[in-house]
Amino acid sequence: MEVNEQLIRAITQAVVEQLHKNGAQPQTQAEMQQPSGTQELAGRTRMRPKHSYEGAARAAQGTDPKEIVIGVGAAFQTEINKTMGGIPLDEVLRNVKAGIEEEGMTSRVVKVLDTSDVCFMALQAAKLSGSGIGIGIQSKGTTVIHQKDLYPLSNLELFPQAPLMDLETYRKIGRNAARYVKGEKVTPIECTNDPMVRAKYQVKAALMHIVETEQLDPEKGMIEWEGR
Amino acid sequence: MKDFSEKVDTMKRSKRIEALDRRAVNKDGFIDEWPEMGFVAMHSPYDPEPSIKIEDGVITELDGKKREDFDFLDQFIADYAIRTDRAEASMAVSSLEIARKIVDIHVSRKEILEIVSGITPAKMAEVINCLNVVEMMMGMQKMRARKVPGNQAHITNLKDDPVQIAADAAEGALRGFSEEETTMGVARYAPFSAMALLIGSQVGRPGVLTQCSAEEATELELGIRGLTTYAETLSVYGTEKVFIDGDDTPYSKAFLNSAYASRGLKVRFTSGAGSEVLMGSSEMKSMLYLECRCLYVTKGAGSQGIQNGSVSCVGVAAGVPAGIREIIGENLVAALLGLECASSNDQSFSNSDMRRTARTMLQFMPGTDFIFSGYAAEPNYDNMFAGSNFDAEDFDDYNVMQRDMQVDGGLRPVTEEDVIRVRRTAGKAVQAVFKYLGLTEVTDEQVEAVTYAHGSKDTLKRDAAADLMSADDMMKRGITGVDVVKALAESGYTELAENILNMLKQRVIGDYMHTAAILDEHFQVMSGVNTPNDYMGPGTGYRVSGKRWEEIKAIPHRINVNEF
Repeated sequence: MEVNEQLIRAITQAVVEQLHKNGAQPQTQAEMQQPSGTQELAGRTRMRPKHSYEGAARAAQGTDPKEIVIGVGAAFQTEINKTMGGIPLDEVLRNVKAGIEEEGMTSRVVKVLDTSDVCFMALQAAKLSGSGIGIGIQSKGTTVIHQKDLYPLSNLELFPQAPLMDLETYRKIGRNAARYVKGEKVTPIECTNDPMVRAKYQVKAALMHIVETEQLDPEKGMIEWEGR
Repeated sequence: MKDFSEKVDTMKRSKRIEALDRRAVNKDGFIDEWPEMGFVAMHSPYDPEPSIKIEDGVITELDGKKREDFDFLDQFIADYAIRTDRAEASMAVSSLEIARKIVDIHVSRKEILEIVSGITPAKMAEVINCLNVVEMMMGMQKMRARKVPGNQAHITNLKDDPVQIAADAAEGALRGFSEEETTMGVARYAPFSAMALLIGSQVGRPGVLTQCSAEEATELELGIRGLTTYAETLSVYGTEKVFIDGDDTPYSKAFLNSAYASRGLKVRFTSGAGSEVLMGSSEMKSMLYLECRCLYVTKGAGSQGIQNGSVSCVGVAAGVPAGIREIIGENLVAALLGLECASSNDQSFSNSDMRRTARTMLQFMPGTDFIFSGYAAEPNYDNMFAGSNFDAEDFDDYNVMQRDMQVDGGLRPVTEEDVIRVRRTAGKAVQAVFKYLGLTEVTDEQVEAVTYAHGSKDTLKRDAAADLMSADDMMKRGITGVDVVKALAESGYTELAENILNMLKQRVIGDYMHTAAILDEHFQVMSGVNTPNDYMGPGTGYRVSGKRWEEIKAIPHRINVNEF
């Protein structure tokens, strides 16, 4: 292509002049901190409307030494019906309970409304449970088996990668929890690990956790939740 | 959004767009900015304006809030993290002017530390907003505490196999990591993991520091017993609500920090963008502003350093616009506050090799105290921190990048013979210690498998239930680092026993508690105090040269001209 050198020179000169005129002025602070949230999300402060637990029965302290309490998240089976991996929460609960029963123990489901942290949920369930063993299940599927006399952030078994969970694992969780109650020598469920889980799911996890956390109702504490 | 998907359903697809849609990067999670929920990296419209008021030496107003309205973070920061004698002068300098000084090679690190010691968190966020990523890298090159950059490894595996931990620790140490961190799939394996890491690390290279990331009380106990030499996972958060949810306050973290320090253990805190979003309590503030608050708390609590750069919440930070810029930004804030910075890169966040490498370059090129915190020194399927940004299969790529750019990333090429040798020695040493201390059996076959293994897919199964009972028993019997030294010495591992004894001596000497300290192979401390970063432009600071450059050059797979 023919290039008109004179034209280029003229343009360059005009640009340089303009630059000089501007004197390479620094941007203002406001320009450097560009406003954000310009998209449709700006101004929105909730994911879902608040659920009312008016009149719900406060969960009672268990006394049966065979009992394992399952503490589910605030949005469990109300705002959220499937785990991050797409498993229906009804099925999750059914399998955990079945696992517990297979080992001859009994289960009771409560909904934890004062924390959405899975370790604290599980510990509270354990403290409520007649056996001292509890299971915490967040609505996104993250699960912990806890014992009432352990430190909150310690645990018997932790399943941090919700998208990798399947129903068989939930059943094994029920079974192992029951075996801890019986004082058996328990082999922990084998760990699974997907090193790309964060890339694929962490933003979704954050959104699901927001849905759960905004449903908290600390005044209510823990309530009986039969589950569906 | 609905319209778009409908259009796609009926629209004839472009083969180019289809090819692009299949690219790995499009499996990553992205989200629009949403400040009300904290999905905003650099600046939220709800971030406060910088301000400070001091009456009788007490800060009575901080970033637009009166003292009576302070939450516990504000109060902690006001009382312990800002120099009131400097504040007036520092706050009078414009944020842009401070940003320019950070980049200006004629202004020393010391001068900047002095100015920054008197500014507030909101002002700090404003300063960082004035810098683009190249300027942030220039800032980091100057503000990093230690003269020579370093690197940290993750040493973990899916089976929590202590023999593999020891072998990978030995190989990692041989490859140049200055610190090694382990954690567990099953938390109760912690005593075995900590002990195996300690033994393996000292086989690979004397002086490597080790830690076991576990529940706080367990981790402290392992440290007190001399089974670890530093701690890193003292997490702090940018909002009061998230702190409370974790049953913590800045004060409790300061106490825990002192507990470690009193026993002569090196400690750094951990924080990073996105944690408040993930926990659903960001108070509508930007990730950068919240992280500034975390870093001020860290400084106020007297910690020498921080692990930050979004860390385990990087999927969230990387999902929003300018998230990766925010990450180097918060690393720089740590350095500006005079803290050691272990700059993350330790968590996978992208399916794209291109994107994950680009993210790491921001710390790799300027160099930080620890570029990774840590690098998976095992295949990522074995990384129990849910995957690191780089893993064992990237070792050669990383070594080549050091060689290409003449940059010191903290690693070095190794020979296969050396790798096999140190892995076997480490496995054998763990076998001997377990036997001497009456713990679960480690068989010869196991040591052999681990010696030649790439990851836990190549190793033998252990009896996890028996291991856990034995680990529990080990804690009940009060076994300490001294018992490990004794076991090694009496099993014929004299030199290794001496190395571990030397690591125990460090906690009495205490020099490695200084900012950004690591130990060389003679157990000599290199920190921001005795080897401070003195970069002031071309011709100054750390340059890769001499013996270290020769080491970096010697990658495997070079054409041998003599045999050509």
